[in-house]
Amino acid sequence: MHEITIAESIIQIAEAKAREQGARAVQVIKLRLGSFTTIVPDALQFAFEIAREGTLSRDAQLDIEIVPMVVHCVVCEAWTQPLQGVCLACERCGFPLEIVSGEELQIEYIEVDSEREGSPWKQCQNESQSRQMC
Amino acid sequence: MEAVPERISVQTNVLNANQQTAAANREYFADQGLFVMNLMSAPGAGKTTLLEATIKALQGRFRLAVIEGDLQTDLDTQRIEALGVRAYQITTGTTCHLDARMVARALDAFPVKDLDLLVIENVGNLICPASFDLGEGLRVVVCSVAEGPEKPRKYPVMFNKAEVVLINKIDLAEASGVDVKELMANVRAVNPNATIFALSSRTGEGMAAWTDWLQQSVAVYGSAASVSA
Repeated sequence: MHEITIAESIIQIAEAKAREQGARAVQVIKLRLGSFTTIVPDALQFAFEIAREGTLSRDAQLDIEIVPMVVHCVVCEAWTQPLQGVCLACERCGFPLEIVSGEELQIEYIEVDSEREGSPWKQCQNESQSRQMC
Repeated sequence: MEAVPERISVQTNVLNANQQTAAANREYFADQGLFVMNLMSAPGAGKTTLLEATIKALQGRFRLAVIEGDLQTDLDTQRIEALGVRAYQITTGTTCHLDARMVARALDAFPVKDLDLLVIENVGNLICPASFDLGEGLRVVVCSVAEGPEKPRKYPVMFNKAEVVLINKIDLAEASGVDVKELMANVRAVNPNATIFALSSRTGEGMAAWTDWLQQSVAVYGSAASVSA
């Protein structure tokens, strides 16, 4: 169940990015997850719901895009998507296949709640910050 | 006050923090001229017995030490120390794998200077350790015939990431009803580039080929490191 470690890393990365941008809350975290990883999407969703508690991502939705595995034979110049049972030797010539995609574990973007430029809240924040600085 | 949803590009690998620590570990090992092997398998494949047999074959030829990873107990460390080899136990509690930070912390408490070979025996698990680079130079997966012939195809990521696959307990092949050739073919199906050794660490059959290979790899690495240093 290493999905909890993965979920915690996702939260930490999203948290750091959101704070850097001065956001109040993370609404969406978009993840690209390759099918040739050891991460189970359902288990990751479950772990994410536990890991997000008490963070800026507490109401966030984890949007997982599954990236299919694609392999390439440099000899036959063929690209294929192994669906059932991975074989990494070319079916035609037996040459070792190159993994083109399917190993992704990447946060693409986050969607955050921020304040519209010039909104009263933003001005108020700025004022209080400038007062503190004095 | 009006909340506006805003999309912020991140483009960051989730395992970035682990990869950075692993890179730092790797650099440290390179500075020490130290060959590091990450030994992985399912629970009960015979990693520790195989490691004991490997140590007995290489003892006196190399200066080596072992970091053991387990959820609980220091039983494996005791077994290694009984051979007169320094060993350090990482107990992970409930975590099903070692990560680069655990290894970095272990290195603070367990000096690895003046060694030729460091073996890190990972937590027994064919899934999670595959995702966590520790900074090692060689990834070895042990698969015993008693687990059946299909394991490489069922756990392709783990077997695909290994440079060496050791098929253990071949003395039990007949009793387990397993064809070793079929098991080897399944390793090749998910990892055509793997170096495969079939052996039994209990009877010693096939062990010499593996330990000779390892000895040569450590020697080649050591001489390259001393040339560059």
